[in-house]
Amino acid sequence: MTITEIAQILSGFVGTLCFGILFRIRGWRLCAVSLGGLLSWFLFVILNRWIPNEVVNYFIVALVISLYNEIMARVLKTPTTMFVTTSLIPLIPGGSLYYTMAYAFEGNREHFLEKAIYTLQLASALALGIILAATLTKIVCNFLAARKSPDAHA
Amino acid sequence: MEELFTCVMDIGEQMLIAGAEVHRVEDSVGRMCRAFGYHRTDVFIITSSMVVTVYTDDGSWMTQTRRVSGISTDSEKLHRLNQLSRDICSRPMTAQQIRDGLAAAVDVSSLPFLSDLLCCAVIAGAFTLFFGGGVTEMIVSFFVGALTRIGSFAAERAIANRIFLKFLSTLIATALAFLAVRLGWIPSVDKIIIGNIMSLIPGIGLTNALRDLFTGDSIAGILRFTETMLTALAIAAGYFLVVILGGVLV
Repeated sequence: MTITEIAQILSGFVGTLCFGILFRIRGWRLCAVSLGGLLSWFLFVILNRWIPNEVVNYFIVALVISLYNEIMARVLKTPTTMFVTTSLIPLIPGGSLYYTMAYAFEGNREHFLEKAIYTLQLASALALGIILAATLTKIVCNFLAARKSPDAHA
Repeated sequence: MEELFTCVMDIGEQMLIAGAEVHRVEDSVGRMCRAFGYHRTDVFIITSSMVVTVYTDDGSWMTQTRRVSGISTDSEKLHRLNQLSRDICSRPMTAQQIRDGLAAAVDVSSLPFLSDLLCCAVIAGAFTLFFGGGVTEMIVSFFVGALTRIGSFAAERAIANRIFLKFLSTLIATALAFLAVRLGWIPSVDKIIIGNIMSLIPGIGLTNALRDLFTGDSIAGILRFTETMLTALAIAAGYFLVVILGGVLV
């Protein structure tokens, strides 16, 4: 792992931590969320070694980290949404969004379209991962609840 | 009975204000109403409004509506409200007990301005480094982030419009970044602006919008989606304005 990658993972972690504080997440929940931020970029860097497609990697990381957060939110008995979205902040495509904007201003149509589509791909991969994780957890929870009390409806 | 119903509405309203997603509030309100023994509950909630009707066993019914405004994300408050609604469902409580519980849950001291400022500055610095900026750029970005937050804080008192505030923040950050380049501290504005827009772009809003849409809360999702698109547009407008003015003036 290079110095740049380590710096990225750590700065992503610090950024997530500060966002957590801004959203008033406290105590153990803040620890779990920041750890998620750290893991998300770590996982992304590792995945990039094996899979040369950033969009696919975004999807995998979003899925794995969301599952981690769904579990942690249930362990700590707290609403999931804040958890999931905060941990995935390092994956927000801020860079490509900025370049989309800059190319739009320059009137550089070719680069603009390329960047815009790329940003959209990353954002969709992210959202898809989060939604899939939420759906999977829901199915498992309903299944467990149904097994515990067969009469209760989900 | 009516008192309890009003308490449930209050809890739902506070949850929405703390930034809960629609699906969660509908679920919690429905559960609490069932816990109070209403035999049918119809809940319709979007981010800015709630309509709830309950039907009691003696054949009468009650409806209350709420107009919800002034949403500000507060995870601690949401966590406590969620706990309160779980408590209500698990054991019977009187209206007075619920009101006390609600007052205790809502009474979260707001984040001191200094911590808020420091967080915004660190976020800007950290993400400048994250997106490939050097150490000098990180330091410049840190101070740009701090000054931008001071600027938006000053404007908050005069302007209530959140989208316009984002426009103003981008304007300040971009102008400061260009100033730093002018002074020769950094070679280009790119990394500074990227670091600073990370705390402005509605990444979380967009994710929540998509989540709402996929879980079937179409109206809430569309409202949120429209808001994120307008915010993104406001940020682009702030950036463009500075670049155009800079081109004319310099």
